[in-house]
Amino acid sequence: MSWKAIHRWLGLTIGTLAVVLGLTGAILAIDPVQQAWQAPAAPDGLPVATLVERVARTVPGAEEIRRLPSGAIVVFSFAGDQPQASYVDPANGQVLGAWQASALPRWVKNLHRSLLLGDAGRWGAAGIALTMGVLCVSALVLLLRRMGGWRRLAARVRGTLAQRIHVVAGRVVLAILCLTSLTALTMSASTLGLVALDTRAEPEVLSVVTGQPDLPGAQLATLQRLAVQDLRKLTFPGTTDPEDTWKVATAQGQGWIDRTSGQMLAWQDAPLAQRIYDLAVVLHTGEAAWPWAVVLGLVGASVLLFWGSGVVIWWQARRQAPHITGNTPLAQADVLIFVASEGGSTWGFAQTLQDALSQGGHRVHTSALENFRTTAATRQVFVLAATYGEGQAPAHASHALEHIAKLGASAVPVTVLGFGDRQYPTFCAFAVALDQTLRAQGWPALLPLECIHQQSGQQFARWGVALAQALGKPLVLEHVPRVPPTVALTLVARQDYPGADGPATAILRFAWPAQGPGARLRGQGLARFAAGDLVGIVPPGSAVPRYYSLASGWEDGFLEICVRQMPGGLCSTHLLGLQKGDSVAAFIRPNPGFALPRTRRPVLLIGAGTGVAPLAGFIRRNDRQRPMHLYFGGRDPARDFYFGPEMQRWLGEGRLTTLQTAFSRVPEGGGYVQDALRRDADRVRGLVAQGAIVRVCGSRAMAQGVAETLDEVLAPLQLRVAALKARERYAEDVF
Amino acid sequence: MSKPLLTLLATACALALPALAHSRPLTLTAQLKNYGGDGAYLAAYLTDAKGAYVRTLWVAGGKAKYHKHLSDWSRLSAGDAKRLNGVTGASVGAGRTLKVTADLADALLDAGYEIRIDAAAEDMRDSPSEVRIPLSTANAGKPQAGKQYIQSATFQLQ
Repeated sequence: MSWKAIHRWLGLTIGTLAVVLGLTGAILAIDPVQQAWQAPAAPDGLPVATLVERVARTVPGAEEIRRLPSGAIVVFSFAGDQPQASYVDPANGQVLGAWQASALPRWVKNLHRSLLLGDAGRWGAAGIALTMGVLCVSALVLLLRRMGGWRRLAARVRGTLAQRIHVVAGRVVLAILCLTSLTALTMSASTLGLVALDTRAEPEVLSVVTGQPDLPGAQLATLQRLAVQDLRKLTFPGTTDPEDTWKVATAQGQGWIDRTSGQMLAWQDAPLAQRIYDLAVVLHTGEAAWPWAVVLGLVGASVLLFWGSGVVIWWQARRQAPHITGNTPLAQADVLIFVASEGGSTWGFAQTLQDALSQGGHRVHTSALENFRTTAATRQVFVLAATYGEGQAPAHASHALEHIAKLGASAVPVTVLGFGDRQYPTFCAFAVALDQTLRAQGWPALLPLECIHQQSGQQFARWGVALAQALGKPLVLEHVPRVPPTVALTLVARQDYPGADGPATAILRFAWPAQGPGARLRGQGLARFAAGDLVGIVPPGSAVPRYYSLASGWEDGFLEICVRQMPGGLCSTHLLGLQKGDSVAAFIRPNPGFALPRTRRPVLLIGAGTGVAPLAGFIRRNDRQRPMHLYFGGRDPARDFYFGPEMQRWLGEGRLTTLQTAFSRVPEGGGYVQDALRRDADRVRGLVAQGAIVRVCGSRAMAQGVAETLDEVLAPLQLRVAALKARERYAEDVF
Repeated sequence: MSKPLLTLLATACALALPALAHSRPLTLTAQLKNYGGDGAYLAAYLTDAKGAYVRTLWVAGGKAKYHKHLSDWSRLSAGDAKRLNGVTGASVGAGRTLKVTADLADALLDAGYEIRIDAAAEDMRDSPSEVRIPLSTANAGKPQAGKQYIQSATFQLQ
């Protein structure tokens, strides 16, 4: 079982009960705060003897003085038959008011420590504390894994809102929650009798009756030497028993004092187990220091936050998890499909393949690649493998290659189908490695390795034709990608930039339909978005969405994109053909890595062509006027200087600090945006040295060129783009 | 042999050999006040005419870690390794009644022996010797009030 599975399932099950303990714990934290507020602590160095003298004067019949962990002094006495407990001001012995152990109903504490179920409940509560400890340890492992080690623990957290809440809050309170579980377990161990705190009997000591009168408490040498801040409890000798003694308890131990001679008759040091227990109580309850109690209270309440966000994270993951329908059990299947997928889209292709093969009469079993194996019934195996990042395996299949390398080959053909993007230098690297490993192991293949570019349905269908031939059976692979629920956006304005022959590019502004808060909570309607996020547009006649960078945010009240006519492009043709009032089906896809962090550091924006759109969105929302510097590359200022007039206005408003342009198709235009950067090398270096955040948007070739140019420019600073990327100061949005 | 030990031995014989010495059942009832706290720990025990511990009648409350709060009983009975054998039960809630029976040798009646009850509750004050009832025939059936926790304590002889 992985750490993630442990964390998830413990959190979802026993975590529910931990919420009860957390919330009751938060309520119990009120007591120390209230007690600190009710009574003053003793001044430093006040001898207990002086306190006894003051108390004897103001509280007749005092039987016991207790110093609470908060420092407040409580005196127990009898007024006639009535037992009394009062706060006393140690400075003058004045009675301040009645003392109560707790201002809260007792069931709160009993719910917290035993779930109102007596001893069985105490075992239960201890089990919950242990679970909480395991949750903390697994959380730390997952946190380090997610953030990339101790050094990057404080870095920016990415992900959905629930994930960010879970991780950010976890970073803050993890250590305290862990300490709370540990102290809870320490306390449980002694309450449940697993650890004996003090097994010694109290010594048999009696005051020696000499006929002399009692020594007043103020004259006892031991009490004169003992400071009130070290006292726990002082019990006066009983009035009716002449052999009774004084009994004094401190953190170090307890002693018995003769009532007439004032001699210490016996002393017992507190055993180590007792001291550890005392420390655990103070740390767990916060009763010694109210600010700590406040911290503990907040941490207790945070358990609800963790549980709530955890449930949301689990639910979101569940919704996105692949659901393969019509799966045959492994042992009966003659065709096995194994999938390695990062974003989940490869599972969709697997489903299409499974459905087509099932229709052809095969019994198909689809599973994740890490489960790779064959059975006696297996006749064909297909592996559908996506590549993650720089040629790595998707996270769930990270050990699959080693696993397969250890398996002995059989005569069953294993065919690999890779998924990737040709624009990356490591196109389908994981699928290639997988295929090489399988062949080296001696597995045959039905078809040679094929790599699908950008989830192309057509290419997948062509592979299906080859597969049908190889199997000698008719087979049609018609892949329809899953698209999130869409919203109809209405075109409200368009600004055209004519190309050489007719309209070639336009800035399109859309409105979205009004939606109530109820719909938002249920996740319906258009998701909130910011400039730099993506909008997926599903053109009529196609099920495949195309993505555009957003040039506006939710706060702007409109959704704006910059669309360039692609030769034969279904979606761009449709969009550019829209009239005011027409609508398109769209959904939002977050692009959190590209969003600007909220700091005052300067921002260096580099965009070319329609790639300027998200950058324009950043500038439009720069209400706090942080320094933003834009490098814009186009072809001809007369034709494709997108957002040109707005840029001038934003310069005047201080939203944009400087604007540098480069136009490649006009004389003296300044060449490419890379050339502009090179010309401004000193200034760019200066900005980066100041800690500037860099955002680049444009074609992949342009982004590559910019990165190479910046590597040259930044060489004197011993900085490279790769290093800036690792520190999350540099991000690209390429198309 | 020390004197308390002799007494202990003698009493042990008296208790262990009911066939030789006459004995009869004793019922002890303690009605608790509504003192507004968690279940009380109670220890009922016998002391002799000199105040020395003789025998434990009942201990209500099972967690050994809290037994030191029944301080007189805890101190006096420290030498009795079997003090908890067969005479323990649950703590007694506020307002509830504890009723226990024990076999009592006739020789202990009207001989200066005393039934004592120590009481304690969490976060509240320990009350050693909350009640002391002299073990005399005349006292049987007479309720006695405690200091803090016990509304009334009575013993009955049969």
